[in-house]
Amino acid sequence: MLKKTAFMKSFKKQFELQVFAIIGIIFLIIFSYIPMAGIIIAFKDYKLTSGLLGMFTSEWVGLKYFREFVNDINFTMVVRNTIAMSMLKLVFTFPIPILFAIALNEVGNQKVKRVVQTVSYLPHFISWVVVYGMIFSFFNQQNGLINQLLVKMGLISDSLLFLAEAEYFLPLVILSDIWKGMGWWAIIFLAAISSVDPCLYEAAIVDGAGRIRRIWNITLPSIKGTIIIVLILSLGNLLGGGLGGSNFDQAYLIGNKANFRASEILQTYTLRMGLAQGRFAYAAAIGLLQSVISVILIYSSNFFARKITGEGL
Amino acid sequence: MKIRSKEDVFIELIVSIILLVVFIITVYPFFYALIISFNNGIDAIRGGIFLWPRDFTTENYKAVFSSLRLLSAFFVSVLRTVIGTVTSVIFTGIVSYSLSHKELLFRKTYMNLIIFAMFFSGGLIPTFILFKNLHLLNSFWVYIIPYQFSVFNAIIMISFFREIPDAIKESVRIDGANELTIFFRIIVPISTPVFATIALFNGVFHWNSWFDSAFFVTDNKLKTLSFMLMDLIKQADMTRVMAATVSDYQRLDMQGSTTYTAETIRMATMMVVTIPIICIYPFLQKYFIKGIMLGSVKG
Repeated sequence: MLKKTAFMKSFKKQFELQVFAIIGIIFLIIFSYIPMAGIIIAFKDYKLTSGLLGMFTSEWVGLKYFREFVNDINFTMVVRNTIAMSMLKLVFTFPIPILFAIALNEVGNQKVKRVVQTVSYLPHFISWVVVYGMIFSFFNQQNGLINQLLVKMGLISDSLLFLAEAEYFLPLVILSDIWKGMGWWAIIFLAAISSVDPCLYEAAIVDGAGRIRRIWNITLPSIKGTIIIVLILSLGNLLGGGLGGSNFDQAYLIGNKANFRASEILQTYTLRMGLAQGRFAYAAAIGLLQSVISVILIYSSNFFARKITGEGL
Repeated sequence: MKIRSKEDVFIELIVSIILLVVFIITVYPFFYALIISFNNGIDAIRGGIFLWPRDFTTENYKAVFSSLRLLSAFFVSVLRTVIGTVTSVIFTGIVSYSLSHKELLFRKTYMNLIIFAMFFSGGLIPTFILFKNLHLLNSFWVYIIPYQFSVFNAIIMISFFREIPDAIKESVRIDGANELTIFFRIIVPISTPVFATIALFNGVFHWNSWFDSAFFVTDNKLKTLSFMLMDLIKQADMTRVMAATVSDYQRLDMQGSTTYTAETIRMATMMVVTIPIICIYPFLQKYFIKGIMLGSVKG
């Protein structure tokens, strides 16, 4: 009884604060938790006309939609594209900011360093739509800049169909991902490099170590921890497209009817099945499949993070 | 003491080349869009414009700003950016302020709910169903309401507000000020950097958004500029993919002159989307490093 009144007393005292907190949490419940719960329509016979509650009351169909997806004519293609895109982006995009940060660190002229660095993270703030516009103006078949240059140099006689042929899709995706994220993610590595104790370098110089040795034996080992943490974070969002989470934007924008053999991924397929064809439950099942893989990736990368750094993320 | 060895010279050469290449490949695409957007469209079809407009004109921009669809998209974008940013920063700020109090009852539960929501989401389909049933589809408010409480920004703000000494708040509370007064009169002024950072990021997010405009809105009057740009490029992309022989540029149904083409209109629109970002870039820069550091304090 005493405990209860004490509780009421402190609750009353912070009544206003509680109201704000609860309003915030209500927003969170509506816009985050209801959709999370709504994912069960992947196991249900849901029709859009049955409304919000219908997500929970409609009839169970078990794994019907998952089975359907596995037998889908596009299943292998979509899964393969998703994995190829995610893995290749990890392999090619991830090391670039590290190399760029090291290069920046080796620049003697501070003014040059500042100018280049400032410019380099501008693309991070530019929308993928604009990047797509740039890709289009550089690579289109009719008067794209790259085709113009290649023809002028006599390397090709006819314009290449960069945007329409499937084999060019992944290179375009990787290049644009590097272009957009390189400067931004280099900031983290540069911060790690700048916190390295200068005494280490001085000692190495005394020992006669050259620039390359210093990079290899001091700079790289000192930022190993940062590299691992960033790597783990990108692994956690592997299917979303790594740190930048750009898979959907890239696949949807750079992808088209001509190169869909390379560009159709789980996320765009969910969209096409759900919003374009109205097969909501089916699309939710595909989305859920991706979420499950992502959750496994998040937990296992967090597990490794704990193992390696001694603390979770 | 400082003797430059061959190795030093070599490294400096390599690094200079890398920096030069990065500089050029980052700046040139913007520059290219800029010069094409100021070039006569018919003339631009011939190609060969690399460094300077060959036939300078401002017709492309005039055409963009006289197209009713693009103009309305521009205003929708401005409106959503301003309203979306201001309301979300204030709302997330007030909620974060209350959650930053250590003595707040159920604080742990609230925080766990927030952190869980940072990692997991329901995905597109349930979100679409939710928006439909909340009658948010095809409404301007679909750009605003779902983003009111930003989990990520809340975590940054909470970790910042926690550092504010209680004594400051207590002294005003004793004078009978309510929490909203404390928030607006005390917390906001002393937390300008964190509010500026989050407002800038929020603004960039709203300005760049095209997804919600593409899939949650069908009314052409409510489309955002980023979406319209996407649509312009997609149309051109499709035309070329489907009929590679199409050589005449389809014109937008706009009044007036014939000096612009779909391509130069695209470039001009691209610049209209990009220039605001470049204009606020110095401010972004000033604050975002602080923002990143704050985020990593309690990530």
